[in-house]
Amino acid sequence: MVEANQSGCLFVGEGVVLKGNFAVPDIASVSGVVEGELSAKQVIVESSGLIRGKVTAESVDIRGEVAENLTASKSLIIRSSGKVGGSVHYAEIEIEKGGTLHGDLHLI
Amino acid sequence: MFSKKSNESSENTSENTQSYETNSTEEQAVEIEQSPQYDVTSGRTNPIKPSIISEGFEFVGTITSQGVLNISGVIKGKVTAKSVLVDATGLVEGELFSDQVMVKGKVLGDINCDELNIGPLAEVDGSVSYDSVHIQRGGKIKGHFIKK
Repeated sequence: MVEANQSGCLFVGEGVVLKGNFAVPDIASVSGVVEGELSAKQVIVESSGLIRGKVTAESVDIRGEVAENLTASKSLIIRSSGKVGGSVHYAEIEIEKGGTLHGDLHLI
Repeated sequence: MFSKKSNESSENTSENTQSYETNSTEEQAVEIEQSPQYDVTSGRTNPIKPSIISEGFEFVGTITSQGVLNISGVIKGKVTAKSVLVDATGLVEGELFSDQVMVKGKVLGDINCDELNIGPLAEVDGSVSYDSVHIQRGGKIKGHFIKK
């Protein structure tokens, strides 16, 4: 999806489990599992991806699962296969039909 | 005496069945008219024409309907209906129970539904319990979400 310029980007491939806190200047694309805090400019969680921990980004696009706190200061999109649990802070939200949200929603 | 009575009763029943039959045909006619519009599940409820709370109209109390409810005005209280549309000018302050809910206006209170659709200019503040949800970009939602 994001092959053109990879500087400042984090890619977590399917099957990879990453534990710790990560600060990503640009795009974080997650197809595997991230356990811990993740902050980035843009977070993309692919359908096989799972983030267990706090996510902070300007824009977040979720096809997989985010299990804990989520903050999207610009836009948040939960696709039809996406799942979000826990507390969510957002400025602009879109949930496609089929997307799951289980938790508190707060407008920034 | 006995025979006379039984005759009377049989006449009565025949009358009753007749009137019932006419009723049921009327109902069928309505059902045929509306079924493509409202996707009526077979034989569960009698479809009713949409009830409309117009703009500028304020209702305080409980509303219960087996059919479709269009809200362009203000409702303060509990609303129960098969399908609810809160239009852009509509406001519901209170609980909302429905199979299908479409919000284009404002809902301040809890929503309990199967299918929830929130439009881009909508505002929702309250606890939401749903089975399927679609939020269009721009909808402002606060509160607790629970998937059934």
